[in-house]
Amino acid sequence: MNKVLNINLGGYPFTIDDDGFEHLENYLDTIHSHFKKSDGYEEITSDIEARMAELFQEQLNGRSIVTIRIVETCIGIMGTPEEFGAEGLEEEDTFYEKTQAHSSGKQTNYQTGKKLFRDPDDSTVGGVCSGIAAYFGIEDPLWVRLLFVLGFFSGTIGLWAYIILWAIIPEAKSAGDRLAMKGETINVSNIGKIIEDEIDVFADKLDEIGSELGSKKKAPKKRRMVEEAPLRRGFLL
Amino acid sequence: MKLENTMAQMRKGVLELCIISIIAEGEIYPSEIIKKLRSSELIVKEGTLYPLLTRLKNAGLLDYTWKESTQGPPRKYYQATSQGRSFLQGLMSTWEQLQHAVNQSTKNLTNNE
Repeated sequence: MNKVLNINLGGYPFTIDDDGFEHLENYLDTIHSHFKKSDGYEEITSDIEARMAELFQEQLNGRSIVTIRIVETCIGIMGTPEEFGAEGLEEEDTFYEKTQAHSSGKQTNYQTGKKLFRDPDDSTVGGVCSGIAAYFGIEDPLWVRLLFVLGFFSGTIGLWAYIILWAIIPEAKSAGDRLAMKGETINVSNIGKIIEDEIDVFADKLDEIGSELGSKKKAPKKRRMVEEAPLRRGFLL
Repeated sequence: MKLENTMAQMRKGVLELCIISIIAEGEIYPSEIIKKLRSSELIVKEGTLYPLLTRLKNAGLLDYTWKESTQGPPRKYYQATSQGRSFLQGLMSTWEQLQHAVNQSTKNLTNNE
């Protein structure tokens, strides 16, 4: 099951899956920030959006809902701003350098650095500990949890601290938030990756719930392994 | 020295020539340009075309008019300006010179094979 949204892309109405929408939005954001400093900014971006709409219609072929697969296929046909640069003309290269000088090379990555979020995918109570663990690059949120549990026993400070943190730290809701939580730079390619990961994890979870209804605890354990694998590798290197 | 880079450089130069000459044949809208270019594999990613068209338009080589479409919102139809046509002639003569030069330079190589 998936939520759907109604959007207007380049003058065409579309019904699009929630995850597909997120993917598309991030893609268009990188396009917009890439051409922001260019002369024909509005024209180029609206042309690209209109073409995306046409590609969606071709891919839909009579079906009614734009899925994330369709979004991915169309982005593949259209290409990312990095790929346009390789095919553009000489003038574009100098223009490219100019914009890089202006925005110090950040035009395709619209968010850098870590942000503190609560992690809803790996939570015991409110996801505060796993969020903190992700923020400080601690491999296993268990250590942070132990610290808080010790805090609970040594007085009420631990408990109050947890409740206050729970209230003030925002939950990581979107794929972008989750990347920012782990400190990865967001661009079109890795946001695609995280969404794919999520689909796999979700499929795994469904299988597990289907096969053994009683043991709920196994599912989150598996999830943690999948999500932390890239982090751990980063530490070894 | 990467082969891919050199190939991309070569493609860059002729892409502009091809786009202007396709548009000079008669007014056309971008998706049709893509269809024509796709068969020649000159454009790998479609997104490349749009900034290029806008730049050629801003340089006064192309112009466009909005036309109603039966299938959706109005479409932009591009046409070459007189400046664009003379620009194209310049490019064509350079291209012919280049073609001649390349044929001359590689003649012995292809004969030997």
